[in-house]
Amino acid sequence: MRLALGLVALVLVLPADAAALELPASREVRLPNGALVILAEKHDVPMIAVRGFLRGGSVADPPGKEGVANLTASLLRKGAGKRTAEEIAALVEGLGASLDTGGGLEASYAVGEFMARDQNTMLDVIADLLRRPTFPEKEFEKLRDQSIDAITSAKDDPQEVIGGYAAAFFFGPHPYARPSDGDERTLKGLTREDVVAYYRANYGGDRLILTLVGDFDLPAMEAKVKTRFGHWAKAGAPLAAIPAVSRPRGHRVLLVDKPDATQTYFWIGSLGVTRRDPERVPLDIANTAFGGHYTSILNTALRIQGGLTYGARWQAPRYTQAGTVAIYSYTKTETTGKAVDLALETLAKARRAGLDSAAVASARSYITGQFPTRFETESQVASALVDLAYYGFDREELTGYAGRIAAARPDAIAQVVQRVYPPPEDLTFVFVGNASKIRSVVKRYGRVTEVKISEPLLSALGREVR
Amino acid sequence: MKNGMKVIVWPDHDIPNVALYNWFHVGSRNERPGITGLSHFFEHMMFNGSKHYPSGEFDRVMERNGGSSNAFTTEDVTAYQDWFPKGILELVFRLEADRIQSLSFDPKMVESEREVVYSERRTSIDNENASLLDEQVQAAAFVAHPYHNPVIGWPSDIERWTIDDLRSYYQIFYAPNNATMIVVGDVTPQEVFAMAERYLEPIPAQPAPPKVTTQEPPQLGERRVSLRKFGQTPLLDVAFHTGAANDTQAEARDLLLTILAGGESSRLYRRLVDHDRLAVDVSAYVNPEGFDPGLLKIFVTVAPDKTAEAAEAALVDELAKLGRSGPTAAELTKAKNVELSGYWHGLQAINSKAAALGTYEVFRGGWRNLFTAPERYGRVSARQVQALAKTLFDPKNRTVGVLVPERAEASK
Repeated sequence: MRLALGLVALVLVLPADAAALELPASREVRLPNGALVILAEKHDVPMIAVRGFLRGGSVADPPGKEGVANLTASLLRKGAGKRTAEEIAALVEGLGASLDTGGGLEASYAVGEFMARDQNTMLDVIADLLRRPTFPEKEFEKLRDQSIDAITSAKDDPQEVIGGYAAAFFFGPHPYARPSDGDERTLKGLTREDVVAYYRANYGGDRLILTLVGDFDLPAMEAKVKTRFGHWAKAGAPLAAIPAVSRPRGHRVLLVDKPDATQTYFWIGSLGVTRRDPERVPLDIANTAFGGHYTSILNTALRIQGGLTYGARWQAPRYTQAGTVAIYSYTKTETTGKAVDLALETLAKARRAGLDSAAVASARSYITGQFPTRFETESQVASALVDLAYYGFDREELTGYAGRIAAARPDAIAQVVQRVYPPPEDLTFVFVGNASKIRSVVKRYGRVTEVKISEPLLSALGREVR
Repeated sequence: MKNGMKVIVWPDHDIPNVALYNWFHVGSRNERPGITGLSHFFEHMMFNGSKHYPSGEFDRVMERNGGSSNAFTTEDVTAYQDWFPKGILELVFRLEADRIQSLSFDPKMVESEREVVYSERRTSIDNENASLLDEQVQAAAFVAHPYHNPVIGWPSDIERWTIDDLRSYYQIFYAPNNATMIVVGDVTPQEVFAMAERYLEPIPAQPAPPKVTTQEPPQLGERRVSLRKFGQTPLLDVAFHTGAANDTQAEARDLLLTILAGGESSRLYRRLVDHDRLAVDVSAYVNPEGFDPGLLKIFVTVAPDKTAEAAEAALVDELAKLGRSGPTAAELTKAKNVELSGYWHGLQAINSKAAALGTYEVFRGGWRNLFTAPERYGRVSARQVQALAKTLFDPKNRTVGVLVPERAEASK
């Protein structure tokens, strides 16, 4: 592969020039308990995609119990209604369906796809999972221990873990620091009672956004969903507001020691913007131009011209509150300093001199040209619709996006770069690599906190008890 | 076309975009010692300049016109992918034709790209224990056939390829008669064929590339490899020789994979992960799955406090059981349903349609077979799956790889 596309973490970079995007007609229904249901018919293939979001997620993990939201959501599949874990897996997979549950940062989710002929069975299963989980003690212990093993095992691939270190180190005491999976020690401390308490507080009709897209009859589907979710009581606790985040000042450096590493993985970032940022469209253009596609300014400097890496990306996740903006790349151990210096210079130049106009023009076309491919499948449309609803946008956010990309003024793009791209003096650095070989290099960038990759993440950062 | 290149068009007007896959029938299978990894390196060089589009221009032109591109190399093929708005169809044909017939070989780009590929190797193999182990297992399973070599190449070869190696590769393998182009999206066959005739048909055919004639001799006993390196968890990778992509048992084999490791209701997940709690995860797949007989691999991420030996014993026991008693009716139905929903899933996007059509055309007897796939899978019997399991999982046909993690102190 020439491009590691999996590294692109730009949040929903959207379209540009040509035709406005066509989304299938959808119907939104607010049930009396507060649940929001969004339905859209799409008849290309005899399939149905489902997305269920429950507001909450790991930001609602009680301090010291990081990972409980994700464990709770994962346990929904391990016993619900009258079925055991084994029976649920056999039923769902036996139909050739997929149904996953888990906890994200700001929402727990159920994600699935099934053949249209199985819609009644699958709706029953989904309703059982969300409304009637049984959390068997045996399954709780097993999944908790398996989750601990999975976290340990993931540490053999730096790409899988650097994001978690970056968030935990960058956000410090803020809930966005919490790894959704927790760490080995916080999971070990969890009990079944913690899971039940999380479920009672955070699951209920008022937290639900349920989207179904696919080969069904809309009025009939609406009735089926109302029957199954219309009487779901509200969650036991009010949804906690997420505090705002402020930009940390100065330089901070985290070095994660992985003694066998032959290359250094690095994340250099600062505070980004919220999902509803008013300048999100010019920012999408800037982010794409700077580091969101192959010929971006950043990838050109580090890979195409520098030959220092297989890939360099600008990542800009946005949440209800501000996320981060960051350079992410990797290079062989010996060129760590060279690659980081070049990355820093590239970022400083973007602020100092603005983004090259050819790069901006290319980004506009790229965004527009690729945009329709993000809304082709039932699953893509269902994801887009649930995401819009979660963040309070209407469909026009997508259908009118190409027009806004075309209309964004160059001075608006220049201004948003000045506002959002961090000044050189306020940066957080995270390195995963062979500490004995890069310790002296990374300390050039600031005061270093060094941890071993084998330690539990939160404990290593001194964050296990807030 | 007259020069032997085949172009297949599948119109789909849902979105105003096009997915184009151009498959060259060359991969690491066509390499020899000294130039391992060259097919993949060549893939990179196809983006580094041609007569009318100097270095870097292919991507710059593509992206500033709303398109994007990528490519992948396997043991058997190198496929170039373009995804673009329909308005630039002609531009894409100009770009493709230029690099197929007049690629540049700039020594500076060769050196810079060599570093990029080495970084790719460090990322995807050297710093990823699972891939590192699998490289060793595949090398042990094939002693004669070039599937022995990793697609990315052995490190010493990455360091030493020459510009002349690239030139001769271009000459031999990048001929229109060695390519199959698939175009899916908001186009008509007439306009695509017109473009192909204008831009691609004038490129002259070349002598057919030399055939790969080496055959892997039958394996007559178990082979074992072990790796000791820093890591958090033990790994187990077990490989069995199996047929090529278009083997008569290909459908039964796909169903067997689902029965073994498809989801939490699969045999191996239930036994290794759920019941015995020996593993974090287990997967089963065929790789290489290409022109020549490949491997069926079972990969187990062992739980950190368990051993690969214990996981291996449980795995071997389950494989033998399947050979003895065959799948249950429910297991077979599940596997068939998984195939069917996967089939419909893949027909939703122009990109996955292009990938599926190309895979059938290149590897599975022709593109038409894609449309009869559900029936073929539907006809497979439990007895067939059982017989296949029994033959495949013969211990003599087994190559076992284990990675034993060492802590920092030991590896220094």
